[in-house]
Amino acid sequence: MKTTATNNIRLGLFVLLGLALLVTALFFISSSSSFFSSDAQLKARFSNVNGLQEGNNVLFSGINAGTVKSIVLLNQHSIEVTLLIKQDVLIHIPKNALVSIGTEGLMGNKVVNIIPLAGTFPGINDGDYLAVEKKTDIDEMLATLSKTNNNIAAISEALKGTALRINNSAVLKLLENKGVAENIELSIQNINTTTAQAQEFVTQLNSIITDTKNGKGAAGLLLSDKDFAANLQQTMANIKTASENANTITREMNNFVATLNIAIVNGNGPVNSLLNDSTLTVKLNKTLDNLEKGTDNFNQDMEALKHNFLLKGYFKKLEKQKKKDTAED
Amino acid sequence: MDLPRSIRFFLEDTGDLARFTGHYFGLGFSRPFETGELLKQCYNIGYKSFGLVALTSFIIGLVLTMQLHPTLVEYGVASQLPVMVGLAIIREIGPVIAALIFAGKIASSIGAELGSMKVTEQIDAMEVSGTNPFKYLVATRVLAATLMLPILIVMADAIALLGAYIGVNIQGTTSLTLFFSQVFHSLEFSDVVPAFIKTFFFGFAVGIVGSYKGYKAAKGTTGVGNAANSAVVLASVLIFIIDLLAVQITNLLGFN
Repeated sequence: MKTTATNNIRLGLFVLLGLALLVTALFFISSSSSFFSSDAQLKARFSNVNGLQEGNNVLFSGINAGTVKSIVLLNQHSIEVTLLIKQDVLIHIPKNALVSIGTEGLMGNKVVNIIPLAGTFPGINDGDYLAVEKKTDIDEMLATLSKTNNNIAAISEALKGTALRINNSAVLKLLENKGVAENIELSIQNINTTTAQAQEFVTQLNSIITDTKNGKGAAGLLLSDKDFAANLQQTMANIKTASENANTITREMNNFVATLNIAIVNGNGPVNSLLNDSTLTVKLNKTLDNLEKGTDNFNQDMEALKHNFLLKGYFKKLEKQKKKDTAED
Repeated sequence: MDLPRSIRFFLEDTGDLARFTGHYFGLGFSRPFETGELLKQCYNIGYKSFGLVALTSFIIGLVLTMQLHPTLVEYGVASQLPVMVGLAIIREIGPVIAALIFAGKIASSIGAELGSMKVTEQIDAMEVSGTNPFKYLVATRVLAATLMLPILIVMADAIALLGAYIGVNIQGTTSLTLFFSQVFHSLEFSDVVPAFIKTFFFGFAVGIVGSYKGYKAAKGTTGVGNAANSAVVLASVLIFIIDLLAVQITNLLGFN
């Protein structure tokens, strides 16, 4: 009888353990599928539920918030989806939250996403309707993509043309030419040198300016000497007086020239006849002609003299002196 | 005429089993209840089978996980291993493996026990002494099997999940919390409840087949052996048939 009692205790433990396991498992499942807890209901009307099923999860900002209770086709354009939302999540859902249908993972079950918008809004109530977020569907995306593709094709065509032109252009040849690069390098080196020299020049100029400022050198003296300035002023005054005198002289000269002119034009003096008498000109010409001939003859005589033995020594001496002068220069 | 003869035997057997079952439902739940004997049988059938069922379930959970892992890695969904193993164990592998082991142990033991009692005419003697042998021997065993197998299977599932957890941790590191969170997150009542309900039928099938084969054992030395043997075979086959029916019915009711 004692063994029976022990056996019964063991059996009792066994059964209790089994039932406890079962109840625990059911509890865990219920906590994830919210079977026992009292839930609030929210509704949303979709035009397309994309294969959503009753029992699918509802996520609020990614947190499990409940399940889909029912999906009812109201008419050809709208499907009413009733969501069972846990009370403790419901109090955090604002009135302006948007609802959309998404997918768990890449190809998992459908889920209903409730997304709160920015800003604080009063909480939603049991039985309220949620606004549906317009989701970009794949067809729309493909349509846009097709447009984009066309644009890309046009752009790439244009790019191709540009690339071809660049390929054939002289600029590319210039770029590919080794000599150009070397020249440019050389130029840069020259520029470098020039810059260095300019630097040096500027430095020197600077020192000159400094010196000038301090009164060193002729220019400095010129610029900083007060006596010199006074002299210069005096000189300028003198120049002024001189120029005034010059002016008077010029005026007098002018008068003189005017009277002279009148005398020349009207008078009988030798100047007038020199300028106006044509016969005199002919006579003068003849005289000049005779003079030319006379000089020529004189030249010949002189040449003959050079070769005369009496005067040869003198000419040789003259030549030697000339050579010596050029050597010294 | 050989084939029709075997068919006739099969049909006769089926008819007898149905009658036996009907007899059980007619007598099994009538007063007086053999409570003490029922508890004793529960202890023998349930408690004493626990070790065997636990061992096989643990190994199945472990092996299933290790076998699934390479394939899931190939498809890049190794993180779904707990979900997959959990679903497989709870819905199908756990109940069926445990029920088959249970059938192998219990159907044979009931068949042999009742068969030897039948052969040694103890059953007849019991009837003479005023005790209803059907109520005392059959009803208690069938009820015990029906009640104990579901509990065994719940435990077997838990142990198989433990095995699976160890299996997952052989190839990677997953915390126990994450593992059970993943498993229970993926489980629905529609996974657990039908699987749990069908275990009652498994248990009932094992009990009733074992009892029937033992109760109807043929006289002679081979009778007991035949009874034990055919009880195991028929019970195992019935488990698969019930499993098939169960999945059909759950699909029909939309619980899948």
